[in-house]
Amino acid sequence: MSGHIVELRGVIKDYPLGKVSVRALHGIDLSFDRGEFASIAGPSGSGKTTLLNLIGCVDVPSEGTVLMNGRSTGELSDRELTELRLFNLGFIFQSFNLVPVLTVAQNVELPLLLQHKMTGSERHAQVVAMLERVGLGKYVNHRPTELSGGQRQRVAIARALVTKPKLVLADEPTANLDSVTGNSILQLMRELNQTEGTTFLFSTHDAAVMKLASRVIRVHDGRIVDDGHGARPSADTNADRAAAAHA
Amino acid sequence: MITLRIALNNLLASRRRTIFLGAALFLVTMFFVMMLALTGGVLDNLIRASTSISSGHLNIGGYYKSTPSDSQTIILNTSQLKQEAKEALPDAVRIVDRLRGWGKIISDQGTVQTGLNGIAIDEEREALALLELAPAKEYLENAPDPERIKGSLDELKKPGTIVIFASAAKRLKVDVGDAVTLRTETLKGQSNTAEATVAAVVRDLGLLSSWASFVPKQTVVELYQLKPDVSGAVQIWLKDIDRSEEAMNELRAHLDKKGYAQIEHDGQPFFIKLLQTVPNEDWTGAKLDVTTWEDEASFLTQIITGLRAVSFFLVLLLAVVIVIGITNTMTIAVRERTREIGTLRAIGMQRWRVLALFMIEATLLGIFAAGAGGVVGALASLLLDAAGIQLDIDAIRVVLLSDKLHLVPRLVDVVAAVLTLTAVSALAAFLPSLRAARITPVTAMQSAE
Repeated sequence: MSGHIVELRGVIKDYPLGKVSVRALHGIDLSFDRGEFASIAGPSGSGKTTLLNLIGCVDVPSEGTVLMNGRSTGELSDRELTELRLFNLGFIFQSFNLVPVLTVAQNVELPLLLQHKMTGSERHAQVVAMLERVGLGKYVNHRPTELSGGQRQRVAIARALVTKPKLVLADEPTANLDSVTGNSILQLMRELNQTEGTTFLFSTHDAAVMKLASRVIRVHDGRIVDDGHGARPSADTNADRAAAAHA
Repeated sequence: MITLRIALNNLLASRRRTIFLGAALFLVTMFFVMMLALTGGVLDNLIRASTSISSGHLNIGGYYKSTPSDSQTIILNTSQLKQEAKEALPDAVRIVDRLRGWGKIISDQGTVQTGLNGIAIDEEREALALLELAPAKEYLENAPDPERIKGSLDELKKPGTIVIFASAAKRLKVDVGDAVTLRTETLKGQSNTAEATVAAVVRDLGLLSSWASFVPKQTVVELYQLKPDVSGAVQIWLKDIDRSEEAMNELRAHLDKKGYAQIEHDGQPFFIKLLQTVPNEDWTGAKLDVTTWEDEASFLTQIITGLRAVSFFLVLLLAVVIVIGITNTMTIAVRERTREIGTLRAIGMQRWRVLALFMIEATLLGIFAAGAGGVVGALASLLLDAAGIQLDIDAIRVVLLSDKLHLVPRLVDVVAAVLTLTAVSALAAFLPSLRAARITPVTAMQSAE
């Protein structure tokens, strides 16, 4: 059994398209360790979201193995996969994906309620502490529609981190934000990564975002073309930016 | 708890949809409750009318056959039978006997066929409390004083009197104080007549009043030349009408034990048995027949069955409309909330909980809307009943067994209607909820604003 949080071995993902099938990922081998702040980069259609879906246990591979906590996700039932996500993963979405009819505090409390591990007062304390941590202590009773884009993404981060997951997956977390807000969100994620030790893995095709990552995995046509630990902006970044601009 | 909270908040957030579906559920439940109250009113009318006009809660009737093929409806040793009833049924509140006859009432301007109930008014004042004196306008054409009320049931103490219903008075064109002739056939097949004065005209009580009148016992005795202690039936009223069937079995067992011959219980009114069943049985002599008020009014319970069927059919039609409405609206809601559902699944909500989320939403809508509809329906029924609305159309009076609109909303009916419509609402949401539960968490990643 490996010590990685998540490990992919020879992962292939095919999608049916009419009578043919399209290969989105071609034999991916990849692993992530605790405390990483990693980015999956690549142009649109390169396979980064598919990769994120497989790592996030919201999809299973067509071939190969995704090991989460040493368990192969392809062998788990829907109920077991759901439980695995609930107790091990946090999600941050491009469009924030908050529940509009719940308040900020209720949105953050949601995964804790699903876990059934804490009493009401413990949950409340945890939620308030997390919202303070992301700078939204004054907004507990606001509805998501009453917040700005940056504030909503902060709520999403609080929701993803409130259960203290091993791995937080963020799908283009700054794509719907202006550059200043996007940067502050990334700074927050980085800060939480460093102080809480939470592993972050986010997809992006923004070079500025990649700058902050300690590891950049470049994906192209369903293949990993570069896996740079401690990455800095490289020659490819410009190509990625151009691809993103045309996406 | 979180499922309930999200469901409730979604109901409040989708105000227009909630109001539209809620209003439909509210109106159908209200209609259902009012239809049930109307049926309850007819049942109440039936109980009151039949236990005033033609039956007690229990009856000891009897048939006498001098040859195997004839039959007469009389009981012998009436006072002894009343004593037996008293012994067998300690919870009996009133035990009286009535003489039964069938004949014509003839006036100068008309004739009606009617049943003659020979009663002692002093014994039956309570049983006949339901009878109201009719104003002149209800039976006289061009009455000079339409609201005038004349006569008294107490006049039945006097020999040679008769109390008739307004519909009979109308056909006979008689008023209180007018003379009529009663003509019947004696047990030996001879015609016999008696003169009588109309002592009172009472308001109709639906179909049953079409063939009933009241005369002093002595009138029937003379018309049929009956011997002393012979009567038509012993009628018994109990503390609790719902015990009628149980009490009938107790009384039958008691009479068996005392050696009285009885015919097998047959849930039909006495006149059907008199004309159809008993003449075809191969025995002679006297046999008793203990029946309940429901047996004697069984030919009228078809009205209740019919009303229930109409209510059920109408509510079924409306429920189908509601099911289509809720299913469509929920399907749209599921489609609109695909990303939200995907997100909930991604962060760890199990499929069954997503299913429950939508089912709870529809159930809450059902409970609130149908609950309000049930309460308002019951209150509207009570108000309509208190208003005492007169029914002017004869056909409606016949069907509803009353000349006034009578609604009886029963708690059990209101609860049943609310639960039924809530179940309909939840059921209608099942397929869209199932569709929601099948949404994969990947959709949370796919959709963008």
